[in-house]
Amino acid sequence: MAAKVGTIGQTPAGLRLKHWDPSLPVWIGASALLVMLMALPLGAIFTTSLKDEAGVTLSKYAEVFTNRAFLSAIWNTLIVSFCVGLIAVMTGGLLGWLVTRTDLPWKNSVRALVMASFVTPPFLGAFAWTLLAGPNAGALNKLYRTLTGHEDALFNIFSMPGLIFVMALYSFPFVFSMIANVCELIASDLEDAAVILGANKWTTARTITLPLALPALLGGFIVAFLHSLSLFGAPAILGLPAGLHTITTQIWTLFQYPPRLDLAAAFSVPLLLATMLLIALQKKFLGRRGFSTISGKGGEKRLVRLGWARIPIFVVVLLVLSCSVFLPYWILLKAAFSKAWAMPFEWDNFTVQNFYYTLFQYSDTQRAVINTFELGILTATAGTLLATLIAYVTNRHVLRGARFLSFFALAPLVIPGVVLAVGLFIVYSQPPLILYGSVWILFVAFLTKEMPIGYSQAESTFKSIHPELEDASRILGANRLTALQHITAPLARSGLIAAWCFIFIGVIRELSAAILLFTPNSKVISVVIFDLKEEGQVGAISVLGILLLVVSFVIILSVQRLSGREVVSGREQPS
Amino acid sequence: MATVSLIELTKTFGDAPAVQDLDLEISDGEFVSLLGPSGCGKTTTLRLIAGFLQPDRGEIKIGREIISSPSIMVPPERRSMSMIFQSYAVWPHMTVSQNVAYGLRFKKLSRSDYDARVMKFLRLVRLDAFKDRYPAELSGGQQQRVALARALVVEPQILLMDEPLSNLDANLREEMRFEIRRLHEEFKITTIYVTHDQAEAMATSDRIALLNHGRMVQAGSPTEIFEHPKTRFVAEFVGKANILTGHLDGGNKLALADGLTIHVARAGEAASHGEVSVCLRPHNILLTADEARARELERAGYNIFPGVVSQLIYFGDVIDYSIALSSRGTLRVIGAPAERYPSGRQVYAAAHPEHCVVVKDG
Repeated sequence: MAAKVGTIGQTPAGLRLKHWDPSLPVWIGASALLVMLMALPLGAIFTTSLKDEAGVTLSKYAEVFTNRAFLSAIWNTLIVSFCVGLIAVMTGGLLGWLVTRTDLPWKNSVRALVMASFVTPPFLGAFAWTLLAGPNAGALNKLYRTLTGHEDALFNIFSMPGLIFVMALYSFPFVFSMIANVCELIASDLEDAAVILGANKWTTARTITLPLALPALLGGFIVAFLHSLSLFGAPAILGLPAGLHTITTQIWTLFQYPPRLDLAAAFSVPLLLATMLLIALQKKFLGRRGFSTISGKGGEKRLVRLGWARIPIFVVVLLVLSCSVFLPYWILLKAAFSKAWAMPFEWDNFTVQNFYYTLFQYSDTQRAVINTFELGILTATAGTLLATLIAYVTNRHVLRGARFLSFFALAPLVIPGVVLAVGLFIVYSQPPLILYGSVWILFVAFLTKEMPIGYSQAESTFKSIHPELEDASRILGANRLTALQHITAPLARSGLIAAWCFIFIGVIRELSAAILLFTPNSKVISVVIFDLKEEGQVGAISVLGILLLVVSFVIILSVQRLSGREVVSGREQPS
Repeated sequence: MATVSLIELTKTFGDAPAVQDLDLEISDGEFVSLLGPSGCGKTTTLRLIAGFLQPDRGEIKIGREIISSPSIMVPPERRSMSMIFQSYAVWPHMTVSQNVAYGLRFKKLSRSDYDARVMKFLRLVRLDAFKDRYPAELSGGQQQRVALARALVVEPQILLMDEPLSNLDANLREEMRFEIRRLHEEFKITTIYVTHDQAEAMATSDRIALLNHGRMVQAGSPTEIFEHPKTRFVAEFVGKANILTGHLDGGNKLALADGLTIHVARAGEAASHGEVSVCLRPHNILLTADEARARELERAGYNIFPGVVSQLIYFGDVIDYSIALSSRGTLRVIGAPAERYPSGRQVYAAAHPEHCVVVKDG
């Protein structure tokens, strides 16, 4: 008999120790770290917002919510986010339907370009649009003046409509991927079933297709709304020059000298509650009659023929993609390779000096590039490790109450970067642990912020690995860690590499938390771009922007090759 | 000695008891099936035995040693068991021979011993030609055989199988039943086999334990279970059954609700009087259209049910009749195709009291 066992009558505690699982400290340690990572900043925000010298108080909230400037920031945020959500749903929904269910030409290229908009950091897009549609020197306005002879500008991007326009350009891909996924799951036979019962094309669309897609549309609206709610870069670049504050820029202002942390905390709480509420709503829309009814075995999908409208519709699609990809990329490339960006792009205006200057001469940008990629690698490695451990615990129910861990791992979804930064600043700028002033506070911020993407990637990886594969190894003699090493780790490898890449890309483009936490020697690329904008260093900004984009695309393409699926929409490619 | 004893084994998930007070003794070299509908607790029981779950109450012993109880938990890797999983759980990143050899990594064997053992078992399941393939390049049946070889190569004391055939198509399933039984005859490993398919349990097992709602309903040899079901659930789950209800007089006479009185056999714990159910197997019922023959059978002690053929389904080897009884209700009868009674024909169904078994409700 190989099994060595005890006899009855021993105390339970003694036996636990005897058959103690050596992997237990790993699971408990990772879980504790995660809970700490999430609980500290949030706790700090709530306590700071409720506390003054005298004790518990609501005066901070009173101060925030009676101040006209603050109220107008809230109002602006609501209007902008609502409009962005609406436009994103219309654009993203339409494009999502067009590429999945119609005979639109060049569908794969359209998908790839939507992915490119998704990968473009909104602050970079916003910056590019200041070059395109700034009232004086904006390229499009200059073109308009040349063509018509008018003196005034056609567009002024520094305005509420301008801000909404740019933010919508970088929010619609979220809706696009949700709608594209749903449309791919609605099999034609669901619609055929209605047609055979006597419904015509429009009745079918109204009674079958739309209701099936509705949860995704509502969910998409909320995601786009949330995304614009938490953006900092675009409103700062486009709104502030016009005197428009949003909640995030207002919080940032509270951090400027003299800093008012207490007010920033009090102002963060409503933003936090709003995002929580919206995520809960979104879960409800997507969860209830959700996708299970739709996910019939695919079934045959017939494409709707667009007929004569095929080409005009394609032109409209092209126009949308020009605004989000072609025009901004063109102006960034032009600025990066020109001596003077506003001059026509001719041979004697061509230069590579911008690249040399940015990457090798100017110490600020050089340091930022190094910091960014260092942080990217560090955070992606630590984040993947932590996310993997946590996902393993929740997926295989290693610990009791593992379900709550997934709540903690996903919590940063409801924490806008600026709010997270407020919390982290409060926690780590005072003893016992002072991280403020070094890159480590950025590391903690990025690790926290990227946890949801790392976790969900790791979680879906483990979900796809049948637990019996591991059980089979256990019963043949492997202990838990050996089974992990022999079976689960090799099978999870490509999924976890993808998680690493997602975190890395998330980190190198992060602005909204970094903008509150950087110090002169811990600047990152996004912060430097923001700074250089004040100095009007268009060439250097463009170089940094192109660097970010190139690195992001290279990584995404390699992940796609690695895992054999389209990353942005999560769609399985037909094999 | 690899006897396995389950003693008052209980496992609860949340509020729902999955296994309740399960007692079962499996002797050395025995092949026992845990049979029941989905959700009856059979897989939970198996995972409790394997050590993937810890019981809330009761204990599991191998020989005289406790391996599972609320306070004692020998981890799966130290139980000298093998298991075959419903999903086969063949590792996709290892070749066939790497899969099979895996369990030997944890045993101290010489290189030549090791290779010889792997080859022996690959040959046993007729996969020696495929040893360098990856599982993705194998059919379902071949993957199943990899799982089988992988489980046997370590020469386990106890073999656990969790619905191993449920993912195979019907023909292959039948073939694998015999294969599993053959391997059992050869190695005589104590085996616990979970299935919801009664034919599978019948074909492979020495003994069947029927589970329902987490409790053991009846355990016995396939013949016992089939011919003397103790409860209505067993009668209906194992094979086809006509269930009649009526009033038992304390002896062997049952008064049916519609006035007909029949003679029944009584077994063990079933109630001796009052309202009871009686199980009649469709293939134990004779059909005749000849009244004289019916009288003859009645004189020989048979219960006679006059009726009309209301429906018949021709299966080739048998005919499945539904007989609308003149009294009330319907009787299902399996008849030989040699004699065929068309729909609407007046017939007599005859059943011997030996085949009218009183069963407990539930």
